[in-house]
Amino acid sequence: MIKIENLEKVYKTEEIETTALNGINLHVKEGEFVSIMGPSGCGKSTLLNVMGLLDKPESGSYKFIETELLTLNDRERSNFRKRNMGFVFQNFNLIDELTVFENIELPLIYNKVPAGERKKLVNEIIGRMNIVNRSGHFPQQLSGGQQQRVAVARALVTKPKLVLADEPTGNLDSTHGNEVMELLCELNETGTTIVMVTHSSHDASFSNRIINLKDGHVISEKINKGRTEELI
Amino acid sequence: MFKLNLKIALRNLWKNRGITSINVGGLAIALAAFILVMMYATYETTFDKENPNYDNIYVVGITYPEFKTYYTAAPFAKAIKQNFLEVESVGLIKESSFELTIKNGKKTLFTGKILAADYNAAKILNIQPKGGLVQPSGDVERLTYLSDKSMKTLFPSKKDNKPEMVGFGASNSGITGTIAGSIKNNLHSNFVFDGVSIGNELGNGDNYDMNNYTICLQLKSGTDVINLEQKITDLYQAELLKSKKGKRNDEIKGISAFLDPLSNLHLRPKAGNDTPYKILIALSVLGILILVIACINFTNLSIAQATKRAKEVGIKKVMGAFRLQLTTQFLVEIFMQCFVAIILALILAELILPSFNNLFQVQLTIWDLENKLFWQLPLILLVITIIAGIYPALVLSGFKPALVLKGNFSTSKQSYWLRNGLLVFQFSIAVVFIISLFTINSQLKYMQSQDVGFKTNQVVYIKNLTLFNKPAKMGSVNFEPVREKMLKIPGIQSATVATYIPGGTNGINSYSANGVKANIDFVNVEFDYFETLNIKLKEGRFFSNTFKTDTVNSAVVNETAAAKYGMKNPIGQTITGSGIEYKIVGVIKDFKSQGFEIAVQPTIYTINDPHGDYKTQIMVKIEENRMAEALAALKSQWLQINPKDGEDFRYEFLDELYGKLFKKQEQLQSVFFAAAILTIFIAILGLFAFAKYITNGRIKEIAVRKILGANDLQIFKLINKTFFVMVLVANLISWPLAYILTKKWLETFAYRVDMPILPFTLSALITILLTIVTVTIQARKAVKANPVDALKYE
Repeated sequence: MIKIENLEKVYKTEEIETTALNGINLHVKEGEFVSIMGPSGCGKSTLLNVMGLLDKPESGSYKFIETELLTLNDRERSNFRKRNMGFVFQNFNLIDELTVFENIELPLIYNKVPAGERKKLVNEIIGRMNIVNRSGHFPQQLSGGQQQRVAVARALVTKPKLVLADEPTGNLDSTHGNEVMELLCELNETGTTIVMVTHSSHDASFSNRIINLKDGHVISEKINKGRTEELI
Repeated sequence: MFKLNLKIALRNLWKNRGITSINVGGLAIALAAFILVMMYATYETTFDKENPNYDNIYVVGITYPEFKTYYTAAPFAKAIKQNFLEVESVGLIKESSFELTIKNGKKTLFTGKILAADYNAAKILNIQPKGGLVQPSGDVERLTYLSDKSMKTLFPSKKDNKPEMVGFGASNSGITGTIAGSIKNNLHSNFVFDGVSIGNELGNGDNYDMNNYTICLQLKSGTDVINLEQKITDLYQAELLKSKKGKRNDEIKGISAFLDPLSNLHLRPKAGNDTPYKILIALSVLGILILVIACINFTNLSIAQATKRAKEVGIKKVMGAFRLQLTTQFLVEIFMQCFVAIILALILAELILPSFNNLFQVQLTIWDLENKLFWQLPLILLVITIIAGIYPALVLSGFKPALVLKGNFSTSKQSYWLRNGLLVFQFSIAVVFIISLFTINSQLKYMQSQDVGFKTNQVVYIKNLTLFNKPAKMGSVNFEPVREKMLKIPGIQSATVATYIPGGTNGINSYSANGVKANIDFVNVEFDYFETLNIKLKEGRFFSNTFKTDTVNSAVVNETAAAKYGMKNPIGQTITGSGIEYKIVGVIKDFKSQGFEIAVQPTIYTINDPHGDYKTQIMVKIEENRMAEALAALKSQWLQINPKDGEDFRYEFLDELYGKLFKKQEQLQSVFFAAAILTIFIAILGLFAFAKYITNGRIKEIAVRKILGANDLQIFKLINKTFFVMVLVANLISWPLAYILTKKWLETFAYRVDMPILPFTLSALITILLTIVTVTIQARKAVKANPVDALKYE
């Protein structure tokens, strides 16, 4: 589904240039669950941002089901993103001024889904995520685990083809972390493609494939056998 | 989506209600000031605008070598009408020079101003009595109309508009007349009156020596006014030559005519001063500046709030929001706040309006359907939304989600120079206002403490209709018996009568002495004039009834007059004017009869003046602690003391009349006081929020410094340093500007303080002190916080 070739990204400040991505090649199949690991500063978040169309690389190619995405303008990128991608962040990034229900509803509004339909979809996902009794609460009134559930629900409500997760358990204790990972696995089992950046090999063990980055290069790729069989 | 954005906006505003109230409140206060200024400016610039021929009406003025005037000779009106086709209509008007008493039985009305107008002038000036303008019949008939208010005083229960018989003057005068009806008194006109008297033709017996009337013209549309002005000047000179055979040709050549449009008369008449115009300009600039400062604040505060909204922007962009959508969202939010500010401003303006009306002596109302405010306000709302909102909206909507959503985003580096620049600008304006206020204060203090050269505080000015001229002029009587009777009242120290009182304008006439001929001020007086006003003698003597010649050809001049004629030893020298050779018997020290703005004019005082004005202005000096008693006695005995004036004793305190000369400056002081307080207040509000924002951006730095051993004072110093520098820069920038402005203002006074230095140092002290206090209050929270909390999420 995703074909990334020769991706390069350089950060320039007044004095120094840092190469974040240095000729990255990466293919992701539909329905796959890929983890990207590596030490701090290796370029994993940059790669995720480029994949999520939140950042532009200097050169290379990024094809999503045969569509080249790097030639799109800002408006087209926005449109593509909202139709095809969902995001889960380490620090949840929920809007504090909106309730759980309203936070989850937000991407549907940008996708111009009619109000009745929106209500149905949000209630459905709230049921699935087990947060029904929290739908009127504001983010600050929830625990970290609950907040991340809401964030996941928000990422899924538009039924995206690809979910991008940036250290989704980074701010959670192990119990809540496991809950979220199980949620992502369930999701993956229903056919959603997931790309996740993580520091935790425990979390990575939930995925089909683990890609190791260092200094902007892919240095190794490991197939997680148990999970891959399930995929096949 | 709109609903959701609205929710976010409202919840955000509520969460930050402190800053929101500062933001909206500050803007509302500034808007209220701006609304008042706009209303005032509209009012001041639309005098007589309802007149259908507004653009084609001109008043004829005459320029003499020393001065300009609107008074000219009645026959000139006829000459203009006969000679120029482009003149559609010519009218004559004249204002009554003294108070008239009108009686209906026991009811008495004192009219300050009766406007005499010929029928044409009434048509030109759109004078419309109730029931319409009627042409008087024949040459003699005068149709007199009184203002509604005056009519109410005389005939409280009158419902119809039928003519009424009234008595003029004292009840024993036997003069009666008819009031033809009532007229709406338009206070928003250059021609305000208590009543108007309309005749078919005025000034029929007048000649070119009698400059008693004002000519108004209605020109045909498209007339070349400059060309006409020249032609009218030529005509005037020709007419003067014809009528004044004795007058020298070159003297007449120095006289010219000018046309002053109706639209000029109120604010900047050519024959008068344009101070009201300057004040209006200053006020308008002030109003705009205050609004700009508030908008700057709004911009700064909105950007300061930006970090809090960054996450929202990031998430929305990730969800697929376009930048334009976000820009619109923020603009709508700011629009809502501006809208609330305007509503609050209208309420505030309504509350301030009575004091404002009182200060500027106007009758402004907001809730008038014809008020231009109703189309101006939506425009203002739009403009301030754009000025205050466009920049924050663009900054906020421009956040990069990849950066923002990392969670450690700060905007402090962005738009650093712009925001500091805006802050410096705000403070510069505040400093200019503070310096202006202090300078105005010191000038006013100077005016109040300075010796004006005469004393007004025990002098009562009695309004009087009896003429006391010598030699007798149309029914005038001798003042001596009146004085004697007044002096019998305990407490009355001296009494005199003159043509003019100090504080008003004097007459001007041509006098020659020592080979010099010049137009100088003249005042015709009676004995005890100088003594009553406590004017100081420089040399020679005052008038005295022990010298028989004093009532014939003695004159007293002031120092400036002696200097004007180049007289080293004026006593005993001759000065000629009004056909009399006067002998100078005394020189008085200059006294500021015209206040501080106009230099003391060369002035001659005489008792005998065949061409002078009427001596009617009685002045009485009364012992301070017997004032009430003496006034009561004067009131009760007035008919016996001054039978020709009748039973109505009317007086004013001279110090109050003289004090009116200071009124404009006191107005200015109030305005600048309000402006200085407002700008400082709004600038401090901005600083308050800005300091909060800066400290928030440096919380991590502060924490690190504290861990490394910095004490609180060092951190306070660190944070204050930037602001201290900014305020200092603001002071340095505004000093030259303030210097130029205040110097210019001081130069409008003939007598003024030296440019004071104190306002400059005071403004620096005040702004720096306020800044340090504000910033320190804001920084306290960051300084007192536990550094561990700030570094937790590192």
